[in-house]
Amino acid sequence: MRIRTHLPFVFTAPTMAVLAVLAFVPTIDAVNIALQNRELSNPDSVYVGFANFRMLFSDPRFLNSVWVSVEWEVITVAATMAVAIPLAILMFEATSPRARNALCVLFIVPALLPRVSAAFVWRFAFHPLFGLAVYPLRLITGHPIDLLADPHTAMATVAIVDVWQWGLLFAVIIVKLLETLPRQPLEAALLDHARTWEVYAYVALPMLRGALISLVFVKMVESLRAFDLIYVMTRGGPGISTETLDMYAFSQGFIESGRISYASSMAVLMMIATTAAFTILWRRVRRWQEV
Amino acid sequence: MARGVSAFVARAVIAVGAASVVVPLLWTLLSGFKNRVDIVTPTPMLFFHPTLENFLYVAERESVRTGLLNSIIVSGCSVLIGAALGLPCAYAVARYPMRFAHDIQFFVLSLRFLPPVAIAIPLIVIWLDVGLYDTRVALVVTYSLLTLATTIWLAIPAFKRVPAEIEEAAFVDGYGPYAIFFLIALPVAWKSLIGAVVFSFVLVWNEFLIALMLTTSDAKTLPVVASEMTQLGRDVPWGILNASVILLSLPPLLFLGVLSRFLSSALKTRNQG
Amino acid sequence: MSLRAALAASVGGALVLAAGLAGAANAEPVCTHDLRVLAQPRDGLTLLEKYKDEFKKLSGASFDIDYLNENDRRAKSRADASTVGKYNVYYIDEANIALFASSKWVVPLLDYYPKEYDFADFDPGRQKVATYEGKVYFAPLTGGGDLLVYRKDLLEKAGLKPPTTLDEMIADVKKLNDPDHGVYGIALRGQRGSGANVWRWMPYFRGFGGKWFDGNKPVFDGEPAVKATQVYLDLFKYSPPGTKTGSWDESTGAFLAGQVALLVESTPLAGEAIDPKVSKVVGKVGYAPPPSPLTGGGYGHGLAIGAKGNKDEESKKCAGLFIAWATSKENEKRRLDADQFGELNRTSILSSDEFNKKFGADLGQALAATAKVTAVNFWQDPEWPNLGDHWGIELEELVTGTRTDIKGALDELNTYAKTLVANRK
Repeated sequence: MRIRTHLPFVFTAPTMAVLAVLAFVPTIDAVNIALQNRELSNPDSVYVGFANFRMLFSDPRFLNSVWVSVEWEVITVAATMAVAIPLAILMFEATSPRARNALCVLFIVPALLPRVSAAFVWRFAFHPLFGLAVYPLRLITGHPIDLLADPHTAMATVAIVDVWQWGLLFAVIIVKLLETLPRQPLEAALLDHARTWEVYAYVALPMLRGALISLVFVKMVESLRAFDLIYVMTRGGPGISTETLDMYAFSQGFIESGRISYASSMAVLMMIATTAAFTILWRRVRRWQEV
Repeated sequence: MARGVSAFVARAVIAVGAASVVVPLLWTLLSGFKNRVDIVTPTPMLFFHPTLENFLYVAERESVRTGLLNSIIVSGCSVLIGAALGLPCAYAVARYPMRFAHDIQFFVLSLRFLPPVAIAIPLIVIWLDVGLYDTRVALVVTYSLLTLATTIWLAIPAFKRVPAEIEEAAFVDGYGPYAIFFLIALPVAWKSLIGAVVFSFVLVWNEFLIALMLTTSDAKTLPVVASEMTQLGRDVPWGILNASVILLSLPPLLFLGVLSRFLSSALKTRNQG
Repeated sequence: MSLRAALAASVGGALVLAAGLAGAANAEPVCTHDLRVLAQPRDGLTLLEKYKDEFKKLSGASFDIDYLNENDRRAKSRADASTVGKYNVYYIDEANIALFASSKWVVPLLDYYPKEYDFADFDPGRQKVATYEGKVYFAPLTGGGDLLVYRKDLLEKAGLKPPTTLDEMIADVKKLNDPDHGVYGIALRGQRGSGANVWRWMPYFRGFGGKWFDGNKPVFDGEPAVKATQVYLDLFKYSPPGTKTGSWDESTGAFLAGQVALLVESTPLAGEAIDPKVSKVVGKVGYAPPPSPLTGGGYGHGLAIGAKGNKDEESKKCAGLFIAWATSKENEKRRLDADQFGELNRTSILSSDEFNKKFGADLGQALAATAKVTAVNFWQDPEWPNLGDHWGIELEELVTGTRTDIKGALDELNTYAKTLVANRK
């Protein structure tokens, strides 16, 4: 486009160099540490090859944490979209533009809160003895219920907080996207005697397909960062029913015996798995977006 | 008739959604003013004897002050680094066709795929060995990775939206490429860029896992201090916890207006672009 | 000598004298930098923070206390003591003293505990818990054994006498359990941790004759452990919700709120039960030693001098002075005045008239009786925290029902214990 200038090089090279160092040094060192048997309390350690990785696969707690992580991904992504899309449609259909703008600002608030704050606000609300959220249930049944202590409901309860933060934010995003859609196709469909929900299902949402897929992708990446919520609300309990992979890695590296190498091997596996999965998905997403 | 009913149902659902945001937060705010005895009752109390003790305790606590200071310094510095290095880089990628443009964009995006645990663990060891464990420097360096990646990722579309004509005109007028960047592109795109920078600020302000693993007493950021208070266990000081959570959440909320507008403009032009 | 010379000499002499006196008054401050303390939330420590000025005058520096719940405090003090040593003073307990002392993460206390603070005044039981291989490592902040604490009114109403054997207690718990009226039979601890659920479980284990190790060989996964776990899980059916993942706070909190008929817990509960600021059952509480064959869990927590955090002699002396001041007679007297029953450790305070007046003869008798059945329930070894915490996780799974195989869990623990011993050195 332009004359020859050094600007692109000057502006990108140093930044890329810094990024490369910041990103690659830890990731390579993670592999390095995973191949040792290092513990926090002990500065000397030897290389043990793949011993840590072999131990992982026979560790039932590790396998449980993989399962819990997958469960968590599926539940939160599905629930977020299941809340965001209908809510966005309802907001688009049933509110005046001014009310809609006010609601949009309101619904961004949970996403801005630090995860720690959101986790605490809801942990407080769900407290079996004096939580506001469970108060109606307590009135009806007379018994306090402890959602976070029951292995069957603990994960769902933490998921509620995640969906509270992300689902509402996504609803705002989708509403704004709906607002930018051209009106003609929608009106044409209505003239064809389509019912409202059909208009959305067959016309509006498919027009937003690219964006929606991007949102799902973003949520999938973000769901991996659920550590903050789980750490504050359950610490991986009750038992190990909400112990995701990052929670288990943290436990091993810190809370329990400081087995940094073991934790690192888990982190390496996580890195490889997520980078591979997301790269593949990203390529697909791009292709769908271009359509 | 059917229309009326469904509109009512729709409004009810939206009201529930709005309530789910307002009620818990208001309740937390309210409880920050309660004495412990008014919180630990079986029936939630709306009317009670308010007290400022909790907020005062939180504000006076040495660890809270340290945490607040650390958060401000660490977030501020890493955001500045992210902006200083990231904005020019994003501009170059957006405006200058390069062989590696796509690869750079993908590389930056892939940095967001990294699970924080994965980089935190080796960083603990690295910082321990270098002797910089539990220092603000270590946190700033680590967070710069996040701010750089985020700023670049969000600024590229912002720069792309700057109309090429303006830049062409400036070029014709004899402005050099650097001048165009500083005097034309930046000012024109500044609204979106502010949004990107603020977004990266909120991101590192709220960041918890890396701070938890890389600090122990000197460089603790506010989220870590707040979480330690929520995990006290014995005689849980609910009033104080509520107050500290409110304090922690205020800075990001201050940027609510900015971010809301940023989101709107980003999405509006996205579909037109 | 000329007049001028005499004047000069006397002025000079006066100056020297004045400097000497001033020097004596402003003795070298013992501390050159503020102390960092890592501790658990304790009323005694919170009270101590009000007297920072006093310590500053005494030593020349102030102190900052970071509070963490028990599990986190243990993890963090371990991580800090072994790596960067940012903290000067650690709150350690009976469970990890072996680990800290043998790894040389803390220094023997008495070398730096000034004589005038009278360490020998501490209750002998606490002194013993604070000793490892003949050396004292921490000054006690709290300690004791177990007490059976019960609601006199509820037992009277049901026509029951306080149980003296475990079978009686189990029967009473079943009879008194009435969740529809908001009363549960007992309160136990479910939260993982060698100082949490495992702590409550061990009296049953030891009571049934269980032993942890025979030299280096784990011998705990036999009948006593299985039976103890079964009894524990059984009793949990009568424990309030929230205790399944709760520890001391949840179970004592429920009792103090009036929701529990009886429970066996550490002695500080007795003091809390008669404190109107936290207890809704003042005046309705009775005490007895734990029913046989349960042994009382002897324990003690206190402050120790960190090795890495205090590299030179001066800092060690400073830390020692802080610990001595924090556990001095004056400060314990302040805790007694503030009705902090669980924070008293000195024989002179515990046997004082004021103590008897405040807390009553009843309590004194129960304490004396329980001292006879207080024992060391855990494995006194540096690896105990690892073993105990591992069992704590499995026990929490059993309590919450995410697993049901008691024998399987014990077998896993056995394998783990063997690897712990094998990895030693």
